Amino acid sequence: MKHLNIFILTTCIGLFVNTAHADKPEYIKFEGKHLEHGRSIWLDTCENCHAYGIADSPNPLVPEDWRKRLEQDAKVLYTHAIDGFFGPDHSMMPAKGGNDSLTDDEVKAAVDYMTELARYYIKSKKEE
Amino acid sequence: MKYKLKNSWIILSFTFITVLVAGIAWASDVGDNPSITPRTMADALHMVMDSDRAVYTKKIVNRLVKKEKVIKASEHFEDEKALVLPAQMFRFGAEMVAEKAEKNPDINFSYSLQSLWPINKQNAPATDAEKEGLKFVVDNKGQNYYTTEELGGITYFTAVYADVAVAPVCASCHNDHKDTPKSDFKVGDVMGGVVIRIPISG
Repeated sequence: MKHLNIFILTTCIGLFVNTAHADKPEYIKFEGKHLEHGRSIWLDTCENCHAYGIADSPNPLVPEDWRKRLEQDAKVLYTHAIDGFFGPDHSMMPAKGGNDSLTDDEVKAAVDYMTELARYYIKSKKEE
Repeated sequence: MKYKLKNSWIILSFTFITVLVAGIAWASDVGDNPSITPRTMADALHMVMDSDRAVYTKKIVNRLVKKEKVIKASEHFEDEKALVLPAQMFRFGAEMVAEKAEKNPDINFSYSLQSLWPINKQNAPATDAEKEGLKFVVDNKGQNYYTTEELGGITYFTAVYADVAVAPVCASCHNDHKDTPKSDFKVGDVMGGVVIRIPISG
């Protein structure tokens, strides 16, 4: 019975998380478990600022915000996201987006998802 | 020929003076009559407030506290000889404006930083418009709230703009404060709102 309760609770939480993320079609679901995992982390932690440009954060849906950033090595973006980063005019990206519970690999997955999303919108704009 | 030339100069000078006088009269008229909507006025005021606060946060607090690590910023800035927090700087500005506006009724507007979860009860919403506006900016992130309300026989245009936790310290300071009614803020969350109130009649 205890196991059944845990199963029902887990299923309910799973359904809630899926529903919460499902109504944001602009955040494309890319193929592959890594990017799927990255999307989930990005929506839980990064979206809160990056979707609204809070504290000068670059929005992946805005091609102009990302063109130059994508020219950098992925390692630079990982380091900035994991350790935090002072941008132009002392704007500040907090370490792990302020979510200390994330592992380095989880942050990297979120960065990979965000850059993939930015590339998608840059490509979409070119094709218009 | 000479007469004609002189006459032309007189006509030209008269036209120039007429245009100049009309221009000055028009400029004076525009300065004294409403040519900007209350909403645009509120948006413009908020743009100034928001930019000043962002500059203080980035170029003073972030640079000296986080990057150079030469001083700290603290709620108890006098006791600890520290920088005032960006939210405190904003509040001190609002208090000074309130004092000045009281002495100059022609410039009777006000602004304040409020929250549905205030650490200081004084900063809780008092009017229905404030309550509704704060709830709206929390539920509709990225959007502002505009309405009119009547207080003491005067009609006001009231605008509410979201106030967001832009750094971990904003969230942790509120979460850990002994008087906070909410302790699960995270970076990027709407923690409250800036309420701007402009009289439009009465």
